[in-house]
Amino acid sequence: MRLFWELAKLSFQRQLTYRAATLAGLATNFFFGILRASVLMGLYGARPEVAGISLAGAVTYTGLTQAVIAFLSFFGWSEVMNSVYSGEIGSDLLKPMNFFTFWLAKDLGRAVANFFTRGLTIMLAYALVFDITWPSTVVQWLALGLAIVLSWLLSFSWRFLVNLTAFWTPNAYGIIRLAFTLSWFLTGFLMPLRFFPKWAVQFAYLTPFPHTVNTVTEVYLGLVTGPALVGALLGQLLWILVLIGAGQLVLRAGVRRLVIQGG
Amino acid sequence: MWRVLDLYRRLLAVQIRAQLQYRIAFWFDLLGTAGITTLEFGTLALILQRFENVGGWKLGEVAFLYGLIDMAFGTMDMLFSGFDPPFFGQQVRQGRFDQLLLRPVNITLQVLGSRFEMRRLGRIAQGGLIVGAALALTKAHWTLAKVIYLPVVFVSQVSFFGGLFIVGATITFWTVESIEVINIFTYGGNEMMCYPMHVYPDWMRRFFTFVVPAIFLNYYPALYFLDKPDPFNMPPFVSFLAPVAGLGVLVAALAFWRFGIRHYASTGS
Repeated sequence: MRLFWELAKLSFQRQLTYRAATLAGLATNFFFGILRASVLMGLYGARPEVAGISLAGAVTYTGLTQAVIAFLSFFGWSEVMNSVYSGEIGSDLLKPMNFFTFWLAKDLGRAVANFFTRGLTIMLAYALVFDITWPSTVVQWLALGLAIVLSWLLSFSWRFLVNLTAFWTPNAYGIIRLAFTLSWFLTGFLMPLRFFPKWAVQFAYLTPFPHTVNTVTEVYLGLVTGPALVGALLGQLLWILVLIGAGQLVLRAGVRRLVIQGG
Repeated sequence: MWRVLDLYRRLLAVQIRAQLQYRIAFWFDLLGTAGITTLEFGTLALILQRFENVGGWKLGEVAFLYGLIDMAFGTMDMLFSGFDPPFFGQQVRQGRFDQLLLRPVNITLQVLGSRFEMRRLGRIAQGGLIVGAALALTKAHWTLAKVIYLPVVFVSQVSFFGGLFIVGATITFWTVESIEVINIFTYGGNEMMCYPMHVYPDWMRRFFTFVVPAIFLNYYPALYFLDKPDPFNMPPFVSFLAPVAGLGVLVAALAFWRFGIRHYASTGS
């Protein structure tokens, strides 16, 4: 366990050293956030509320989606794949730690650093220029904290699983890119899933993706309460278990056919 | 001239052959790049069932902006991928740009030929389909003048984005690392130009009118093509400034690029 925290700490510190990249990322996320908020305002027109989401709620939603981009490595993450291609995985597999846990620790450090530098900061910048909403009850804040942690775990388990395709193909970049792209739509990152027709929402909920961004935004905006809130968090937990299980099975099959080139 | 074109053709042929080596990966890439546009536009189309319009523009009209810009950006991203700032920054960092400078061939041509991303074809095709849908959904009156002007606007958009890529690449001569802020203008500009410009805050629209002339490349031409009134009451000839704005940005960018090369001091790696 000590090893886990040390790895996470190292990765956290490493992430903090990329100051220029953090600033540039913040500027970009903020700019895109304003764009998307403007489009939503254009969509709302004179309507005060759509599908239970107020205009202020919709603007807040665009801030939240920009705030989770870096935290959840939303635009792509291929570190495990790279380690397969570079052969680094050989020494990583020899470490006295489960391969999944090893990467989980590294990703934890990365995620926590980004949560503060590119998550909270975005929301604060949003609060400066827009009328945004905040969770109102203690229960809602607690549920939000839990939902955020679970969304990271879910996102990581899924990213890990997709990266394992590297064991089977000499160039998994395209597959990973396609997988990430699909996830943008299904997570509710492009638009709140509530705005979609019913069939599209039902389809999205057959996959693990809405349990990341969409759940976090719905908990934040107070759209799910009571039993529905508990159900949302349990849904996250369930998918985490499924994805971790699948990751372990695929990893075992992949390692069996792994060839590390010498040199 | 022929020698130059022949060289360019050969450089591209090498790229194309290399990219077709991993066929499955190539198809995934093609699908992936097409997928982004499809999903984003599909999302918009789905929620417009509920909202009906964006700032008063219906699905077909937004589709026109969206598809045209996506085709133009995709085409630019394929032709100018050698200038893609993160990629170009890496070339500078690793000293590969110095190798190009040693060769007795025009440097701009070499950079253009150094990368040709075929997977962008997916995005171009997708943009074309969206424009097709737009033409079917809108009832604009297509005169001969419009049919002639449409490709002019397309080429202007490609030059505009190409110019932005060249500026981003040139900046890496000094910064070495690619500065991500350029993404605001390239990818941000692309995203922004997919929607009617009057939905944005005034300061942002003014910036993209007077500093970066994006508004003349999509919004004003679209007002003309789709017979829509101008909410800002600019004179009507503004709809025809696309080639001036597009080529202007490209020419200015090339001048900056030459200035950058004259002052280029290698990283020494």
